[in-house]
Amino acid sequence: MTKTNSEEWIRQVLFKGGIPLLTFGIFLLIWSRASAGIQTNLGQVPGPGQVVEQVKSLAYEHMNERQKAVEFYKTQKERNAKKLSEDPSAQVKVRKYTGKPTYLDQIGTSLRTVFTGFLIASVVAVPLGILCGLNRTVMTALNPLIQIFKPVSPVAWLPIVTMVVSAVYAVPKDWLPKSYVISSITVSLCCLWPSLINTSIGVSSLDKDYINVGRVLKLGFFAKVFKIVLPASMPYVFAGLRISLGVGWIVLIASEMLAQNPGLGKFIWDEFQNGSSQSLARIMVAVFTIGLIGFALDRVMLFFQKLASFGTEQRA
Amino acid sequence: MLKIKWPIFIFLLGFAGSLASASLAAELEKDELTLGFIKLTDCAPLVIAKEKGFFEEEGLFVKLEPQANWKTLMDRIIDGELDGSHMLAPAPLGHTAGLLTKANIIAPYVMSENGAGISVSKEVWEKMKPNIPLQADGKPVHPIGAEKMKPVVEDFKNQGKSFKMAMTYPVGVHNYSLRYWLAAGGIHPGFYTATDTNGFTDGDVQLSVTPPPQMPAVLQAGTVQGVCVNDPWHTQISVRGIGVPVTSSYFYHRGLPDKVFGVTAEWADKHPKTLNAVVRSLIRAGKWLDESVANRDEAARILSKPEYVGADTKIISRMLTGKFGYGEDDIRDEPDWDVFFRGYASYPYYSGGVWWLTQIRRWGQIAENKPDEWYIDLVKKVYRPDIWTAAAKELVAEGKLAESDIPQTDGFKEIPAENFIDGIAFNGKKPNEYLQKFAIGKK
Amino acid sequence: MAFLELEDVSKSYGQGRDRIEVLHGIDLEVEEGEFVAVLGFSGTGKTTLVSLIGGLIRPDRGSVRLNGKEVLNPGPHCGFVFQNYSLLPWLSARKNIDLVVDHLFKDWTKSKRRDHVDRYLEMVHLSAAAEKKPRELSGGMRQRVSVARALAMNPQMLLLDEPLGALDAITRASLQAEISKIWSRDRKTVVLVTNDIDEAILLADRIVPLTPGPRATLGPIFTVSLPRPRTRAEFNEDPVYKRLRNDITKYFLSFRHGTRDTEADIRLPNIRPLEMAVR
Repeated sequence: MTKTNSEEWIRQVLFKGGIPLLTFGIFLLIWSRASAGIQTNLGQVPGPGQVVEQVKSLAYEHMNERQKAVEFYKTQKERNAKKLSEDPSAQVKVRKYTGKPTYLDQIGTSLRTVFTGFLIASVVAVPLGILCGLNRTVMTALNPLIQIFKPVSPVAWLPIVTMVVSAVYAVPKDWLPKSYVISSITVSLCCLWPSLINTSIGVSSLDKDYINVGRVLKLGFFAKVFKIVLPASMPYVFAGLRISLGVGWIVLIASEMLAQNPGLGKFIWDEFQNGSSQSLARIMVAVFTIGLIGFALDRVMLFFQKLASFGTEQRA
Repeated sequence: MLKIKWPIFIFLLGFAGSLASASLAAELEKDELTLGFIKLTDCAPLVIAKEKGFFEEEGLFVKLEPQANWKTLMDRIIDGELDGSHMLAPAPLGHTAGLLTKANIIAPYVMSENGAGISVSKEVWEKMKPNIPLQADGKPVHPIGAEKMKPVVEDFKNQGKSFKMAMTYPVGVHNYSLRYWLAAGGIHPGFYTATDTNGFTDGDVQLSVTPPPQMPAVLQAGTVQGVCVNDPWHTQISVRGIGVPVTSSYFYHRGLPDKVFGVTAEWADKHPKTLNAVVRSLIRAGKWLDESVANRDEAARILSKPEYVGADTKIISRMLTGKFGYGEDDIRDEPDWDVFFRGYASYPYYSGGVWWLTQIRRWGQIAENKPDEWYIDLVKKVYRPDIWTAAAKELVAEGKLAESDIPQTDGFKEIPAENFIDGIAFNGKKPNEYLQKFAIGKK
Repeated sequence: MAFLELEDVSKSYGQGRDRIEVLHGIDLEVEEGEFVAVLGFSGTGKTTLVSLIGGLIRPDRGSVRLNGKEVLNPGPHCGFVFQNYSLLPWLSARKNIDLVVDHLFKDWTKSKRRDHVDRYLEMVHLSAAAEKKPRELSGGMRQRVSVARALAMNPQMLLLDEPLGALDAITRASLQAEISKIWSRDRKTVVLVTNDIDEAILLADRIVPLTPGPRATLGPIFTVSLPRPRTRAEFNEDPVYKRLRNDITKYFLSFRHGTRDTEADIRLPNIRPLEMAVR
């Protein structure tokens, strides 16, 4: 690198990295000052130091729990081996460890649930969006329904979803608990709208010329959709999917609090119920975790969106 | 050759079978259970049963799951996601009677007696103080009846403000407990009618549902003037200076079940051996809890873990080890604030269930007058001392329980007048006669 | 019976009071292998005419017949080259042509199809750039791909809608020469729509003017009798070319000069774009 190149590079790094860091530093300062000053009967607002402490505490609890699980399985194995060695025809059972889910487990559950909900929503929203975009009658028919259901909050859907799932999925399987199904479906119901709307806009604003290419070739409906419509509307579809995932993540936390899915939402509600002197700090850890994960998810989707958009140039 | 082999085969089979069954006392229908609880100190028997290994000794592998609120908990019991749960003593009765979502629920074990406390806001306490006589040491005389609060309620009414109090569940302990205390002091808590499902009709005060974690906040904000809930919330309220606890059910209706352990009747039918194992574990846990203050202390430390009750150890241990703070300047010895086992507290007396039913009728949630048999038949379906007794007898035979720990009773325990703040004695076999004795309330 | 026949073709847009007749009473006959240029001002309905011939839209009155059969729908019998290339931007140049070839010639073997595509890429001198995406190609190259794609369909007729309109003059000149060369190999029937008189004379056998709209119709036909191959260089000296150019220019100017009130009459078609956004 030449001197000016490396100068430029350093300047870029300082700008893109330094300014956010500085802002974050100022934020931390304001926060720690403010929290020291705010004392209420309901507790003290935790400062950054206490939050960091709780991060350590949660990490420690996680390792502890993992250790207990390892020991449990070891003891179980030894016990079973002993039983079998005494009597080969004895019935031995391999049981699951019944300890509580750790913070990392809860993060994993939340992520799994949001992706399930998001996938269900996408599988419904994208084809429907394509139909709406291609056919004005379908769009006119569905539009009122879309506009009515779009603003409904997840908390409002929950009781209904709970009732329906309880009725339909009466005997839950071990690997698919009811609370997981309820949370996923609630997430889908709330996050399918951005994908649907964006896809239909993308499809309906498709360049007429591309459609004409398909008409000249006399492409069948499905060939037209997969070869021309979908690739051309990819940028819109991905923009919609990205928004949907963001919405889904927000909705998930709310629905977990009530549906008892053992994820971050439940963690927050349980801590709230605990009311211990560390509870607020732990809740703030969860707040930051949720924010960071949401940010990461958005970046991932942005990456896919850019990838899809490389295929589309600006019109000449 | 075959002729000789058969008997040997059968013998070996029988031998193996007896070995297998001997290794697990009785083959349980289900040994991996998920039990629910609410984050209140009286979930202790469940937590101790797990943490001290009583469940495991019975061959049970139990996951304890805290629930968001009583409604969610009951829903999950009914739709089968939870095998069994910590429950408010009146709740199984309400569901089985169809007052709530119809479901047959049984309660074979009482988890705790007493423990429903009442706290008022600082403002109300200051206004109540002049009405309360003082002891020699300058501290207020306890028990404090609601009549000491009556002038404050009148005051609010004259100013055109409504006097509001919070409880936890419409068919729950705190609703009826609070109403009992208020009515005993001459304050009308309101009726439930066909059109009024909030229970405000004719009331001097308005009672509404608030989740326990929000009670300190709403008390602080002045949205309500008082709350009725279990510990650790009263200690929280006292320690944080938000309000002052004034009394608890120990003082105004002592000796009645507060929380029970419940399962659906269908689940019990399908898993009798498992239920027996659960009740055995709970009995042992209850006994352990009431054995010594040292045990109570250890329990407080266990309960303060975030996966259980989660409040700070010092808050939980205060009430649990027998002290209670009526305000931080007035900490007294109250060993029976929560009773888990002493005095046959864990035995599910029919009379306990009948008492709750009378209170449900008293405030109008049971719309019509019912004959005595209705009460008793319903309670006999729900409260199951037979299961408790069977488990207890097994434990006695194994030397884990004393013969004296099993009450000699027909299931009905009369509660004497001195257990009630309004001095009205209770005979479980005559509910209607009992209802007639109250000045305020439906008959 | 001519190869392509338009009889009394009319097309209107709009409803009720806003209804404008864009094309009125178009009559045209094109023989097989002929290169016909439709010459006219911008906005007079040239694209409408081309779309009608290709079957993308249907006339309100009159008929379009190809080989005796009425053209009711678009199809691979008609290769389009649009002004905006309409290349699919997520596919490379080769893949754009592949799309067409793979769909139309499904029963050919893979290698036969590959050779076919290669041939047309070669014809437009774009073999080297075959794997590039449209956004990586210049305007002229994109248009060449578009032409290759249209030809690869083996259509009965080519419709060129101002194909060089978006290019600079130098590129235009070189592409005109290329189109001329390509056409002379296969001698397909071509209808070219353009506003460039020189282009029309360079490429076409006959030039048909489109009168300024609304209610545009076809004017008198100018036959181009200049021998092929034709080059621009020759034109500057050729008196036949100069006279032809003069005649056509005069014809168009007559609309401007003679009737200033017709200019005032010219109303642009009041076509509202469709609302695409979801309300």
